[in-house]
Amino acid sequence: MCLALILIPFFSIIILNLPPREVNKRIAFGLVLILTLGQMFLVFFPGCNFWKMNSGVFGSMLKIDLLVDNLTLIMLFCIGLIVLVTLFTSRQFIGPIEKQRNFINLLLVVLIGMNGTVLARDIFSLYVFLEITAVASFILISFDKELLGLEGAFKYLLLSAIATILMLSSIALLLILTGSTGFSEVQAVLKTLNPNNPLLILAVGLFLAALFIKSGLIPFHGWLPDAYSSAPASVSVLLAGIVTKVAGVYALIRIMVSVLGFSPASQAVLLLIGAVSIVLGALLSLTQSDFKRMLAYSSISQVGYIILGLGSGTALGIVGAVFHIFNHCVFKSLLFINSAAIEKQTGIRDMDKLSGLAQKMPVTGLSSLLASLSAAGIPPLAGFWSKLIIIIALWSAGYYTYAVIGILAGILTLAYFLSLQRRVFFGKLTREFINVKEASFSLVFPMVLLSVIIIGVGVFTPVLLDKFILGLGNILGG
Amino acid sequence: MNSQLVSIFLTFGSFAVLLFIIGIYCILAGYNLIRALIGVELLIKAVTLFLIVAGFASGHLELAQSLIITMIVIEVVMITIAVGIVVGIYRKTGSLDARNIRNLKG
Repeated sequence: MCLALILIPFFSIIILNLPPREVNKRIAFGLVLILTLGQMFLVFFPGCNFWKMNSGVFGSMLKIDLLVDNLTLIMLFCIGLIVLVTLFTSRQFIGPIEKQRNFINLLLVVLIGMNGTVLARDIFSLYVFLEITAVASFILISFDKELLGLEGAFKYLLLSAIATILMLSSIALLLILTGSTGFSEVQAVLKTLNPNNPLLILAVGLFLAALFIKSGLIPFHGWLPDAYSSAPASVSVLLAGIVTKVAGVYALIRIMVSVLGFSPASQAVLLLIGAVSIVLGALLSLTQSDFKRMLAYSSISQVGYIILGLGSGTALGIVGAVFHIFNHCVFKSLLFINSAAIEKQTGIRDMDKLSGLAQKMPVTGLSSLLASLSAAGIPPLAGFWSKLIIIIALWSAGYYTYAVIGILAGILTLAYFLSLQRRVFFGKLTREFINVKEASFSLVFPMVLLSVIIIGVGVFTPVLLDKFILGLGNILGG
Repeated sequence: MNSQLVSIFLTFGSFAVLLFIIGIYCILAGYNLIRALIGVELLIKAVTLFLIVAGFASGHLELAQSLIITMIVIEVVMITIAVGIVVGIYRKTGSLDARNIRNLKG
């Protein structure tokens, strides 16, 4: 039945483009709203029949194997949440209703691609859905047809194509080694192989490089700040919040856990790339003056934490990594919505020219403060717990150096976020901004929603920990 | 693998590697955007060839064929979008030179 998560958006696209188009323009918004809310609602009932494997008539027609476990469920929740938030944000930024319908069509394509990516149980299906997501994001980045957007989209496209090619080469090598592309089949054969087989090492290396490019980790990060900062505001929320997390980081976790398995060499690479990304991403974001570029570099730094957690190779580390993906989705999309609100109300994105906006935009100011503190890992907000779990996992696995790097880089994170707060929201209100108003409801509502999630998850983490979060660790054994 | 299989694998495999090198050269040398896309196409062709050789060598030719049909469809979609973006850049700047679109700095 969970094939419906792919098929219903697909048929929705067809329905939205059938005549009478006048009517369809108006129902588009409500349709995506219902789809995302339904997806988020179903995640809370993991035992119900919807998640069972027998897919009925469609399942026998379409040969797509799907997989549902705790990691998939939490990613499906994140996807629903961020697509919902993007939908609200887009009402402010995507102008006439005709363009809004186009935007919603593309949003549905991205939704199909991401749902498919997290549900795929086969390396090749994973590639297909990653490409669907990527192709729709290229169009979304250049949605305004501005030169900057086109340039960002072209850079993303070129690097994404190279990542795809590396991934396909790796799939071909795995096909030679194992004769199959299913996750469990490949994993079963790989366990019997000699770990020093040169073809195997090459295959693992190519796959990791491809996913590092897709997740924008240093030194493969060239496209990421450009794509984030040149995209329209609502598309930045989608890209930073969920697309690169699903296309890069989720795929990396899934491939490492369910297919390739951990080896000392691959763990060393993950830890090294993670640590380099954390430190350099934080240092680079200190030097930025553009609001969105700073957030993009901070995104690289936060993804570094996720990779560091994954690199510890223990169940606890993976729990921390997945929990941090969830938290990152929430606080980073909140920060991008804040930047969108400021850009909408003042027309300025340069942080040096802004000041004192907290007085005029109280909701934006307060929610961005919450998101910054959560990102910097200040208790009791949600980001603190996930970073704590990652660092405990690193320490108990014996990677003391990396644990210390993780703690110290937290100070850098706090530094650049406080510098952002001081420059944009605190300080004296200059005459230029005396008439600035708070953003409209379609931006304030997502801000409030995401702030509530940050506080709620943070305060109730000790309660949630046993019930939901630690349950994530069983994907390693299963 | 018997000797005939190995020789076929090596012949096609080395040709795929050659195509790969040509594709990388095509992307890196020169500044024309269309040329970069042709380089990407060459790389994808090299991978396609490699995938079919891999299917042949491992004895799963029918699996490899079904994968390649899917892959060709996706590749066509990707390259269509890419050309659309390049046309957009050409309309804005009047040239296809990558040196004209350096407003964003990594």
